[in-house]
Amino acid sequence: MQTFNFSFLNYENSMKKIVGLLLFVMVYHTSLAQDKFTISGYIRDAQNGESLIGATVLIKELGTGVVSNVYGFYSITLPSDTYEVEYSYIGYSSQIKQLSLVENIKLDIELSSSLQQLNEVIISGEAEDENVSSMEMSTNKLDIETIKKIPAFMGEVDVLKSIQLLPGVSTVGEGAAGFNVRGGGVGQNLVLLDEAPVYNPSHLFGFFSVFNPDAVKDTKLYKGAIPAQFGGRISSLLDVRMKEGNNKELSTSGGIGTVFSRLAIEAPIIKNKSSFIVAARRSYIDVLAKPFVEELKNTGLSFYDLTLKTNYNLNDNNQLYLSGYFGRDVFKFDANQGFNWGSKTATLRWNHLFSDKLFSNFTLVYSKYDYQLAFGEDENDFFKWDSNVTNYIFKPSFTYYLNKSHEISFGGAMIYYQFEPANAAVGSGGDVINLSLGKKYNLESAVYINNNQKISNTFSVEYGLRFSSFQQLGAGTSYQYENPVIGESKVVTGFETFDKNEIIASYSNFEPRLSFKYQPNSKNSIKGSYNRMSQYIHLISNTTASNPLDVWTASSNNIAPQLGDQFTLGYFRNFSNNDFETSVEVYARNTQNQIDYIDGAEILINEQLEADLLSGIGRAYGVELFVKKNSGKLNGWISYTLGKTELKVEGINNDDWYPTKFDQTHNLKIVGFYDLNKRVSISTNFSFVTGTPTTFPTSRFMMQGVLVPHNSYNSRNNIRLPNYHRLDLSVRIDGKKVKKGKPRKVEDYFSVGVYNLYANRNAFSIYFSQSEGRFQPNQPIPSQATKVSIIGTVIPSISYNFKF
Amino acid sequence: MKNRFNIAIAFFLVFSWGCDDIIEVELPVGAPVLVVDAWLNDKPEDQFILLTTTIPYFDNVLQPQVPGAVITVKDSDGNTYDFTEQSDGKYRWSPSVLQPKLGNIGSDFELSIDVNGQKYSASTFMGRVPEIDSLSFTFEEGNSFIDDYYYAEFWADDLVGEGDIYWIKTIKNGIPLNKPSEISLAYDAGFSEGGIVDGVTFIQPIRQSINPFEEDKDGVFQSPYLTGDTVYVEIHSISVAAFQFLNEVKITTDRPGGFGELFAQPLSNVPTNISNNNLAIENDVVGFFNVASVSGLGKRFE
Repeated sequence: MQTFNFSFLNYENSMKKIVGLLLFVMVYHTSLAQDKFTISGYIRDAQNGESLIGATVLIKELGTGVVSNVYGFYSITLPSDTYEVEYSYIGYSSQIKQLSLVENIKLDIELSSSLQQLNEVIISGEAEDENVSSMEMSTNKLDIETIKKIPAFMGEVDVLKSIQLLPGVSTVGEGAAGFNVRGGGVGQNLVLLDEAPVYNPSHLFGFFSVFNPDAVKDTKLYKGAIPAQFGGRISSLLDVRMKEGNNKELSTSGGIGTVFSRLAIEAPIIKNKSSFIVAARRSYIDVLAKPFVEELKNTGLSFYDLTLKTNYNLNDNNQLYLSGYFGRDVFKFDANQGFNWGSKTATLRWNHLFSDKLFSNFTLVYSKYDYQLAFGEDENDFFKWDSNVTNYIFKPSFTYYLNKSHEISFGGAMIYYQFEPANAAVGSGGDVINLSLGKKYNLESAVYINNNQKISNTFSVEYGLRFSSFQQLGAGTSYQYENPVIGESKVVTGFETFDKNEIIASYSNFEPRLSFKYQPNSKNSIKGSYNRMSQYIHLISNTTASNPLDVWTASSNNIAPQLGDQFTLGYFRNFSNNDFETSVEVYARNTQNQIDYIDGAEILINEQLEADLLSGIGRAYGVELFVKKNSGKLNGWISYTLGKTELKVEGINNDDWYPTKFDQTHNLKIVGFYDLNKRVSISTNFSFVTGTPTTFPTSRFMMQGVLVPHNSYNSRNNIRLPNYHRLDLSVRIDGKKVKKGKPRKVEDYFSVGVYNLYANRNAFSIYFSQSEGRFQPNQPIPSQATKVSIIGTVIPSISYNFKF
Repeated sequence: MKNRFNIAIAFFLVFSWGCDDIIEVELPVGAPVLVVDAWLNDKPEDQFILLTTTIPYFDNVLQPQVPGAVITVKDSDGNTYDFTEQSDGKYRWSPSVLQPKLGNIGSDFELSIDVNGQKYSASTFMGRVPEIDSLSFTFEEGNSFIDDYYYAEFWADDLVGEGDIYWIKTIKNGIPLNKPSEISLAYDAGFSEGGIVDGVTFIQPIRQSINPFEEDKDGVFQSPYLTGDTVYVEIHSISVAAFQFLNEVKITTDRPGGFGELFAQPLSNVPTNISNNNLAIENDVVGFFNVASVSGLGKRFE
């Protein structure tokens, strides 16, 4: 019996000491720098009070500046002088302030949106030359206004569908949940909604995402160069931020579409100080069909979600935010049977300004993802299964705006995981048998420090270090395995039981993060980065595409954490006064401890799941080309990615490299918007993607009356499906702004769209089977190949959207 | 039973835009591999082992047989069973006064094949089987999608003690139900290892696995059984390896099609328990060796 082990707390104590020391040094340093003063404050939208993320504060005399953080806060420390400061944000009218800096200035700014201009199209909510001047690379920020213009599936605007139009982002096809970034798996993306991790960001097998566009303020996808303050997944970070809610007046928006109905209400609780937003969506195909089809009386087919947020501005130095999400997908076959899955998250955050230069944020998160299956017609014969993963998270983070050349961030995170892989029971003839697997407990923690340093007007670097650590904790059982035949299920050779909070296995990793930018002028820049990421929990999927029944499992004595090293290098160039943005970016990522599964792995309700998993290495590399036109009546972008992603696992494909199921050699997306006139705009997008790798047989044989396919090379993913291509079109008609001489209170628009305009039957998979029918024992059985298309026709849609 | 239709309706409403198309594809060419079909049992009748080779996947012909092999089965009680080549290409062992049936419950068995200069072997174990207590036919009311129908159920209890594994085979009106969807396996009284569904009556889905589900050429659902039909159910004991093999065969061959493919596994080769004695040579044989004990019961639906 082992005693309770405190070792995982030791470095946390050290972290507290380091933080304390840093705070002391900073406050002391601040008090010494008498000839420098700080301008700081919040930048917000004048109409609704929403903080503006990434707004630019440019000191004209110096040609340099800062951007506001995710809470809208900015801070810049300069020598005492007079300055002309320009505050700007794309889609908003800039403001210029003359400031005489003889003491610290607290200046909150409210910018007004300037949407009236015809030529102004919001494609990126950043400074006009942001792609060149920002330190960030490998990131894409999609403004919600742009997302709303992209022709959506079934008329529903969608965040995940929109990011799939960016370079380096793809999916396996319709029906696949999640998304893939630079050849990484679906489970290798960290998806955050107001800092709460979202394990399955899709409703209904990937057709829609869980993000309600009415509640989303900002989405940013980091494909590489992930800042040190984030960790836990090796491929990408999708950071979705919710709106705080209009704190000046009541605002209602919503829509009625072919699939969902949406309603969002935002209003101030105390004007300019506190507000809330509640946004809800529900699908209603079943509600509409039920009265007409008797059999559907007890069936249910629905997906719904509720997104809420409230905030309170205590005083100039303290703000509180509380956000939550609750959503579900339900398939009910009858009163007792069906399956459903969904997430709930809650985030509490406290922003605290220690001083004009030290911004801090403390976050507490609760997140739970679960799915349930139930079969059986009565209490005597049934099967019930529930699986879930729960997180409790605490994240303190600090940003110290030292001076105009250094921005230091540091902080940490602690995540406590509780996995319940199977809470299941089966009833047979009145006997009830418990099939549950034991719960699993884990703790993931990290500390980081990072500095964003401007070395000169043309050269900046960002360097940081994250140290992460993971413990598998009891109570629980760990197994030891032997592997007599590689590629087959391992054999249990022993097990050990542990008490509550005893450490079963422990891992830790240093994750250096590095990036640089060389910008000789405002038109072009070269950026490069290196980062190492580690991932301690893994998504196991043995189907063609990821689906809600995929299993999340944690590192253990048998499963080592995944590690990824990514290098990127890019050249960014703007033309014609920022009317054209172009970039070329190459990336290379090597990964270790990639999890794959043996042929015939049993991943559901399997106490010995680890016996069916194999570990290997991966490599992904590619080049992304991106051209974007920002102004004029016709605008949009073209993105093209040429890439390759493979795995090498002992026991699979004869120990040779093989392509992963999301390896797409060519990935071309063309997106266009055309403003016909003041009220009508057309948008279109075209996708062309190389077919998904798949395994085809070479031969066949009969076994006890059944036709069995066989691949005599024993290879995996030896063939590619036909290429995928699709064209979508939609027309948006804005409602009149003026009615009978008076301006209308309601802003509304119709969106009429067509998905898959030329009805291409893109292959989701091709499977091989014997023909239908019953055959005599001595008759040869005919074989056939069947192509499955999830979407095989044109899908029209219409939606009406309003706001008042 | 009703579930299937409700599932279909539920998916239809949302997914009435997908489709399945039978298509022509070109497949890579692979070398032929030896196929061993060695499923034996302890019934007092002739036992057959078939040796063939694989053929290209779209060749709709019977596999060529492999002549000239020397095949023997030995058991742990010291018996040797010789299989001799017949004129029709099969290898047969016949019961005799000295060897009335092949093997006993609880024995281990070893298969040896000497063919084309290669030697192969496999081993297995004969497990025990419970008696089938009874067979029943039950009436079920239809709904607007299907007419009234009758379904059959077999009643038997798994033997007490974890690890009894069975293959349930059904013959309706003299025709074996051997479509991929009709492969019915049981681990103790349930679907898989867990040791908890032991010694009890087989669970309902297994009891009802003896029903064929078919539609006629107009797509109308057919009642699994009608008055005058006969059903004959056999329970065969299989080894753990045979259970995994048949599960893999089922996953590979029983394709759901349509939206079910969202949850289906990609193609992979089924395992085998037969190997070339020369360990340096791999992947040159497929198939399986199992020796079963069998219990059976039949009934006519009056």
